[in-house]
Amino acid sequence: MAMAAFRREGRRFAPLITPRPIAAVRSSPIPEYGLLHFTVFDFAFLSLQSQYATFGHGLWLPKGPSNLLAPLGVRSISTQIVRNRMKSVKNIQKITKAMKMVAASKLRAIQTRAENSRGLWQPFTVLLGDSPSVDVKKNVIVTISSDKGLCGGINSTSVKISKALHKFTSGPEKGTKYVVLGEKAKAQLMRDSKKDIELCITELQKNPLNYTQVSVLADEILKNVEYDALRIVFNKFRSIISFVPTTSTVLSPEVVEREAEAGGKLGDLDSYEIEGGETKGEILQNLAEFQFSCVLFNAVLENACSEQGARMSAMDSSSRNAGDMLDRLTLTYNRTRQAAITTELTEIISGASALEG
Amino acid sequence: MASAVGSGAAVPFWRAAGMTYISYSNICANMVRNCLKEPFKSEALTREKVHFSISKWDNGVPQKPTIRSDTPEED
Repeated sequence: MAMAAFRREGRRFAPLITPRPIAAVRSSPIPEYGLLHFTVFDFAFLSLQSQYATFGHGLWLPKGPSNLLAPLGVRSISTQIVRNRMKSVKNIQKITKAMKMVAASKLRAIQTRAENSRGLWQPFTVLLGDSPSVDVKKNVIVTISSDKGLCGGINSTSVKISKALHKFTSGPEKGTKYVVLGEKAKAQLMRDSKKDIELCITELQKNPLNYTQVSVLADEILKNVEYDALRIVFNKFRSIISFVPTTSTVLSPEVVEREAEAGGKLGDLDSYEIEGGETKGEILQNLAEFQFSCVLFNAVLENACSEQGARMSAMDSSSRNAGDMLDRLTLTYNRTRQAAITTELTEIISGASALEG
Repeated sequence: MASAVGSGAAVPFWRAAGMTYISYSNICANMVRNCLKEPFKSEALTREKVHFSISKWDNGVPQKPTIRSDTPEED
């Protein structure tokens, strides 16, 4: 009966228990469970257990620093340990709260820019359309992710969408390659799609994001990668709590020509007048490059917003969890403190009554 | 990317020199920013800083990354 009770308590406090070395082993009363008498069998069982210091199920008797068997009947949890734990949890809570504040301020700074940058690619969509269902031979998937972690699940969703797109666009004559922005997506894609990665770009956010940087990046990508269609995968920032993984498609000028012949939105391109001495092919090429640069700029900004927002909510839930843990630890601490006091009192009183009686 | 020489029309000089439209517009924007007066000029030039590290991957093996940066590297 005693062992079952102890086992139950042990499972709760097992990591926290160290035995207080008490010289005299006697069956002292246990405060929480009233007076219990131990049989010889219990004592033998306990002494066997002292050889094993396993935590978790069943066995609760750890080897303390002094290697003494914890005496019968005294569950001695050191309050020092609980106090240390409380201190570290409180520090963690402070840190995560600070990180949330930092993320909130960064989000504010970048949110207006992201919303303003939406005006850059909207005219392109009006003119050239955004057709993710276009069927081309050479697809390049540009995955945008963050360099730093602790931002919730946005990077995993981006990678998941990229992999799905890869599957969707690969086929017998078709090839799909990855261009990876950000450390987190690189780490995830490296695991199973190593052969398909074309370029990897990191350290993008060292300076505040600006159009020049992104356009230089776009230039590099255009120069190094052959493509018929570029699919940019990022997390669109809808609100502080909602980040939607989206993909924007930018076609190369040759594909635009081909699709224009097929009709639809692109077929209306011919109704535009072309000024200056340039041909339609010229203009389409300039437009395609500029479109890619603008769309990439918007995508990078939106992803940065989503990253800060996701980090805010992740740190918020982390501080809340730390607060809960702190409450539970405080209860444990008070309980052990009161148990120790009660033990001392009963020892004194029983000692005194033994003297008298 | 093949430069699109249309039916007989001349390719603009920057396209013939190997620049893309993006690099051309960046250079133009830089010139416009340099036309500003102080203090707006220094503010505008901070909006031009470029820094990233790019590495090409060759069949699953990453090559040594090159850093494109305007800021001098402090070692």
